[in-house]
Amino acid sequence: MRDWQELVRQRLSGLKLGSAETEEVHAELAAHLEESYEVFCKEGLPEKEEVHRTFEQVADWQDLQRRIFIAKRSGHPMKKRLHQLWIPGFFTVVLSIVFLVTLQGLGFQARVVSWSGPRTTLLYLPWLLSLPFFGALGAYLSSRAGGSRRTMLLASTFPALALTGAFLSMFPIGFAMERIIGRRVGFSIVATTLLRDGIGWLLVPGAALLAGGVLVNLLFSGRTSSQSTAIS
Amino acid sequence: MIGAGIKRGTAELAILSVLEEGPLHGYEMARRIEEQTKGALRFTLAALYPMLYRMEQRGWIRGAWETSPSGRRKRCYRLTPAGKKKLSPLRKEWAELFGALKRLTKVAHA
Repeated sequence: MRDWQELVRQRLSGLKLGSAETEEVHAELAAHLEESYEVFCKEGLPEKEEVHRTFEQVADWQDLQRRIFIAKRSGHPMKKRLHQLWIPGFFTVVLSIVFLVTLQGLGFQARVVSWSGPRTTLLYLPWLLSLPFFGALGAYLSSRAGGSRRTMLLASTFPALALTGAFLSMFPIGFAMERIIGRRVGFSIVATTLLRDGIGWLLVPGAALLAGGVLVNLLFSGRTSSQSTAIS
Repeated sequence: MIGAGIKRGTAELAILSVLEEGPLHGYEMARRIEEQTKGALRFTLAALYPMLYRMEQRGWIRGAWETSPSGRRKRCYRLTPAGKKKLSPLRKEWAELFGALKRLTKVAHA
């Protein structure tokens, strides 16, 4: 039995994409060649002729390699990133913050959950319940722009990731401020406090957002699977 | 001789149109296009995949690995909302172009 993937790999050995991406291209082209070969086999051609007609589809492998590389690197990566990640992510951040502020304005109080003695965590339950929807929205917007599954999940958890980044950046900022003004400021203390509350502000919200993103992901992949049952 | 831009345009329209019917992998896509155009449009492997990758980069289609009932793994492409949005004006443009050419050739033969 022919190893089609190896045959493609030999012919496209100079394809300078990432290793996973290159393997995907090899596997995809190999599957195409294999299917063509099987069709020619069904026609009852001599084996040499079957192989010849299968490979006849590519007159110049070097040219194909070059065109695949250009196609894979075409488009506007920044623009694509903007539509697939930054805009959906930013939208999710804004909506979740506006909703939190609205809840606070309406008088909803955070629930204080105690764990391990004096340690406590603040949980805004109505806000947390809303986060899967915002996460799902971020993933959906990313998907509409053609985002991959990974980008969809990143867009859905964007508020938690942004908040984590903001918390962590307070340490170097606080440290730099202390050096500049020559006296201790409260940045590090604030950041330490916020990190202590990371469960309520980062982990639990992150998980809630991710749940929404995963749901949208499953819905999309479920739809694809059901529609592709006709593939032989 | 048909220019590269026109060739690319027809190929994009053909791919988006067959994908509108449902997700397909590359080989099946080429077969359907050939069948539906009665052999007027043929995609070899070398013509099809650079085009699919370019369209995927533009966000018009999305490919994902699927396992068929026979256990084979194939990369299936489906239309994204951006691709669906692109299809309608593309159809209109080509209909206008073919309409104009048809009128032109009628006038020339009259």
